Amino acid sequence: MISALLYLRLTSLQNLVLSRVRRLRQPKYLVGAIVGAAYFYFIVFRRTVHVGRVAAAGAPVVALPTDLLPTLIALGAVILLVIAALSWILPDERAGLTFTEAEIAFLFPAPVRRRTLIYYKLLNSQVAILFTAGIFTLFSLRAPSLIGGNALIHVAGIWLILATLNLHFMGASFVITRLMDNGITPWRRRLIILGLIVVVAGVTLGWLWRDLRAPQAADLADFHSVAGYVNTLLANGPLPWLLLPAKLVLGPYFAQDAATFLAALGPALLVFAAHFLWVVRFEVSFEDASIAKSEKRAARVAAVREGNWRAARGAMKARPGPFRLASTGRPELAFLWKNLLSTFPIFRPRTLVIGAVLIIAGYRWVVHDPAYRHMIPIFTVFAFIVAGYVLFLGPQLARQDLRSDLANSDILKTYPLHGWQVVLGEMLTPIAILSGVLWLVLLTLLLTFHSPALTWLTPAVRFTVAAGLVPILPLVCALQLLVPNAAALLFPAWVQTVRNRSERGIEVIGQRIIFMAGQLLVVALALLPAALGAGLLVFATQWLIGPVAALALAAVAVLVILAAEVGCGLWWLGQRFEAFDLSSELRP
Amino acid sequence: MIEVSGLSKRYGNFTAVHDLSFTVGPGEVLGLVGPNGAGKTTSLRCLAGIIPATTGTCRIAGHDITTDPVAAKRALAFFPDEPRLFEYLTVRQHLAFVARIYGVEDHEALAEPLLVELEIADKADQLPGELSRGMKQKLAIACGLLHSPQVMFFDEPLTGLDPLGIRRMKDSILKRAHAGATIVLSSHLLHLLEEVCSHVLILKQGEKIADGTLADVSARFSNGEANVSLEEIFLRATGGSDT
Repeated sequence: MISALLYLRLTSLQNLVLSRVRRLRQPKYLVGAIVGAAYFYFIVFRRTVHVGRVAAAGAPVVALPTDLLPTLIALGAVILLVIAALSWILPDERAGLTFTEAEIAFLFPAPVRRRTLIYYKLLNSQVAILFTAGIFTLFSLRAPSLIGGNALIHVAGIWLILATLNLHFMGASFVITRLMDNGITPWRRRLIILGLIVVVAGVTLGWLWRDLRAPQAADLADFHSVAGYVNTLLANGPLPWLLLPAKLVLGPYFAQDAATFLAALGPALLVFAAHFLWVVRFEVSFEDASIAKSEKRAARVAAVREGNWRAARGAMKARPGPFRLASTGRPELAFLWKNLLSTFPIFRPRTLVIGAVLIIAGYRWVVHDPAYRHMIPIFTVFAFIVAGYVLFLGPQLARQDLRSDLANSDILKTYPLHGWQVVLGEMLTPIAILSGVLWLVLLTLLLTFHSPALTWLTPAVRFTVAAGLVPILPLVCALQLLVPNAAALLFPAWVQTVRNRSERGIEVIGQRIIFMAGQLLVVALALLPAALGAGLLVFATQWLIGPVAALALAAVAVLVILAAEVGCGLWWLGQRFEAFDLSSELRP
Repeated sequence: MIEVSGLSKRYGNFTAVHDLSFTVGPGEVLGLVGPNGAGKTTSLRCLAGIIPATTGTCRIAGHDITTDPVAAKRALAFFPDEPRLFEYLTVRQHLAFVARIYGVEDHEALAEPLLVELEIADKADQLPGELSRGMKQKLAIACGLLHSPQVMFFDEPLTGLDPLGIRRMKDSILKRAHAGATIVLSSHLLHLLEEVCSHVLILKQGEKIADGTLADVSARFSNGEANVSLEEIFLRATGGSDT
């Protein structure tokens, strides 16, 4: 029977690889694959090869002193122990092995033993674990000499850690299910486990209190001293015994060469085997929970494919509207109302007011206290960073527009609205969210951005620039959002793939990079006329009417140019939306 | 009133609908039937202005769907086979949203009896995720009916409904037709169409095979036999293709 399951797994994997290779015949995937490969080469491989060459040439590279390794392993063991403890405390559901709906439909009614299903699941998880181990190793190889060893040792070591953790999670969930079957509620179990942890921690701390001293200044003098103190701490009392299994599992990863790896492998495999036996021999029913889990997973995947991230995050709750929606008025506002409901409740007009009040109150507090006044430049830098982040990445993150509603385009097109009205309505929510954040950033900069070196930056100039930017920023956001929305209508198949987080592969990474670069380029080009116009106006008129009036004039000019560009973009996208047919666009 | 003339829809070299012409008057219910892939859904989507026709014209309540789409769409409602709902809006919020889109004044007064008629009044504050498929379909219908459309397009309206739901849906369609609405519906459930439709249009491979009243089409394909069912007519007209 296991051979049939093995066949299923290997054939599925083979077909997946083949379909990925075949789809490279489509230009959108081929171009994506080339860009994705280039990204990986320049960001990961080239650096890895470079580090390897440096090491091979015997050049000095940054290495972690070997005397720190025991401390590192002990700290790693503490982390593993905490993760393991959490796997006993957090779950509140019965053990459900994750099967796909097809696997449940075919395997559960089939004459397959329960243990065989577990073998199958374990086998299945190895693919993902090995992949993760490979990726992790690839990135860690950029600085190989930090912990020593080589690629093979790292892959095997990470695989062993992740596979043992996976078995531990499974075993813990089985025991939790048995406890629930015996009437022990999740909260009672948590109390028992927390009680046990408190007892163990109490005994350990008591031991440490008796035998150890508090850290002295010398213990904190440098990195080695701190590590030495921590090492002594972790080597005392019952802690070494508590950490022993986790240390054994970590051993192969931290091996410096083949000999130490082989020496560490035996004990690690013993821990792994003990976990394996625990999982396969523990008799507990997982079928009901697996079916429920698979249904939830399928619903989540369907929600993701429809672009409904809120539904994908879990059960949704009904919420009151963000504002009162009258029956009559501009229909575009109905989209703003609807799409604000689709996102986090924090994105409401009152948040903007609260944010502004907090910024002003915070600034007044800081500016009136000499002890904190030196922090003002930090707020300025932080505001610039947030502004940059929102301007560059905001349109990719705030997606409550056509990108999320593309699957509903059939219904949207039956509405008695012009195409541009639908596009504008759909874009209003991300425009509002991004503009709101940028306005708060602007307020922060208006209050905090002072520089004695910039004599021309008088309060009047600062205020004029800020006042001018208030209406300009929503237009800049609109301009940015036109690009991904245009992409959604022009290349729906491509966008469907990119927005679908269940899609993976180097080609999808490449597609995302292309989108990002394309957006930046188009927005830069679109902003160029406004920037040039504003620059020329300020240059030509400031001698006549003064810098403040010149800046105000330039702001009006920028406003007009951007409004014209956004208007043209909306009109064109509206035309495109009216002619749009998702079903034909997605034809292979 | 629906007036269709020479409507065609092509996808590259593939013709989904070819030179379709027909008229449906107020109070009439036209059943669109045809084998799988005959072009029923494509035709309905062209008529509702969801996708542009390649050639031909379609007038909805006197407005050309291509040249005056806003006025035409104000007069129509389209009900897809799968209810398309916004997962984050409750039943009541769906109606508020649709009311604003269509500018339905005092929509609460219209919505309440509609929710009662469709038996979803007690679900008014629930999200679609909490509704059964039948309930979702009822919500989609409530949204479509809120602006009192003169023309309605139903694509497989009976799919997924239980026997009582099918009965209620048929009654609802007939009620609207008796009130003067123009209705086009597509379905594979031919015996049910017989009960609802006054007219029928048979499509095959995108082309019209026959249309007219049920009596006209029966007479054409019955070969003189009496009491020939729509199913038998369909099989004879389409050469025995599956539905």
